[in-house]
Amino acid sequence: MSNEFGQYLRKRREELLKGSPDFTVRKVAGRLGIQPSYVSKVERCEVPPPSEATILRWAEELGEDPDVLLALAGKVSAELRDVIVKRPKVFAQLLRELKDAPDHALLRVVREVRDGKW
Amino acid sequence: MIELSDDSLVFSFPEVHASAKLEINLQRTLRIPDDDGLYPLPPGLGEFPLQHVDDFAERVPKAWIEHGGVMFPMYQSEAMWIYFHASYDDEREVSYPFAVKIATGKINAVTGKEWAFGLSRREQDYVVPPEQPWLDGYCVKKGEIRQFVAMPLGSGYSAEEQLTGKAEHGGLQIVAYPMKREVYERRFPKCERRRGNVMYSMQEKSEDMFSQVCEPSMALAPGGRMKQEIYDDPYEYTDWDLGHCSRCFVHITNSMVWHSITGKNPPTTPPTSEEYTRAGLPWFNWYDDHNQVLQGSDKLAGMKSVAELGKEKGDVPLPENESVDPHNIVQLRNGLKPGQVREWKQPLLM
Repeated sequence: MSNEFGQYLRKRREELLKGSPDFTVRKVAGRLGIQPSYVSKVERCEVPPPSEATILRWAEELGEDPDVLLALAGKVSAELRDVIVKRPKVFAQLLRELKDAPDHALLRVVREVRDGKW
Repeated sequence: MIELSDDSLVFSFPEVHASAKLEINLQRTLRIPDDDGLYPLPPGLGEFPLQHVDDFAERVPKAWIEHGGVMFPMYQSEAMWIYFHASYDDEREVSYPFAVKIATGKINAVTGKEWAFGLSRREQDYVVPPEQPWLDGYCVKKGEIRQFVAMPLGSGYSAEEQLTGKAEHGGLQIVAYPMKREVYERRFPKCERRRGNVMYSMQEKSEDMFSQVCEPSMALAPGGRMKQEIYDDPYEYTDWDLGHCSRCFVHITNSMVWHSITGKNPPTTPPTSEEYTRAGLPWFNWYDDHNQVLQGSDKLAGMKSVAELGKEKGDVPLPENESVDPHNIVQLRNGLKPGQVREWKQPLLM
């Protein structure tokens, strides 16, 4: 179970609550369409992270990057999974090659337009 | 190298100079009436969507994969113009100069000659951005072009077919040469009063299947007459870095088959010239008093427009070709803003 995920959600919600009363556990749960007790349990890491669809809604609610929240929950989005599964060899090789590169070197992958035989 | 970014081709030459970047995009526009009238410049209606041909290797003709490059969809009812945006170097307060050759079906759009490597200065076969911000068609005479319009490859209308008698290549071919670094730095020294690093951003922006659908390849053909000046190269021939160039083959597909290739819808059909003019929307005239104007090509002037050729063949290639009388004409003179595209886009600051 990922403690980091629940703790991150709670910290972020409480920061937002300082600026707006709309971010109580009850109100956030209402907008997410889940029980307040479930929100509390997720934030306290008493239950495993929810489904991908719920995490995506949660990310939108808190203004967070969905890929970051999914990663904290130990998940990869279905969209990214599909990308990798379609060309596993290429993407596995690419990720392995880039895994230790510093962030500033990973800001953008440039793809060259291929020139052929005219 | 050439990168595809936000539907623009970005030619960059970091090995020559950090500022040697040229963005080229292909603007959708109205098909001006092909009625022998001389029309002002039509607007830019946004970029054609570009895709790497390699991404759809299973669904495009084999020749396209052999050529490499990119592709876009085009309706017969629309036209295209080419927008050049050389990156603006704030330290020198100029845009980096390039020599750019444009061909359709491997017929040079400035001279009408068949594709050749290098640059020709005696009979200039290229345009020079930023002095030349746009190219809307074939340079048929001084101050006049014939608009780039799309017709199916093999139908006999294209510049390639009219001038070579063959329908081999279609599409659009672009090659860009940057100015030599030392020439650029000598001609355009840094401005002492500005030391910032602000730069204008570059927009910051199966064959079996085809046999069952229709001919996917489109070719560019000469459409209506338009007022546009193609400028003489204001630099020396030796200023161009012929050792560095990048080229791109741009394939054009019928909009009707774009979805079957890419799974994406093509843009909606553009308005006709008559609808656009009736709505009071602007047309444009642009002149640069500081530059010499090329005389135009006799070969290109000898081509027949789509309407003329259709009449001879007994075809009706242009169902909507009503003459119009543009009354809202915006006069643009020297001093275009960097990135000005007939008013549809503003430059962004990084």
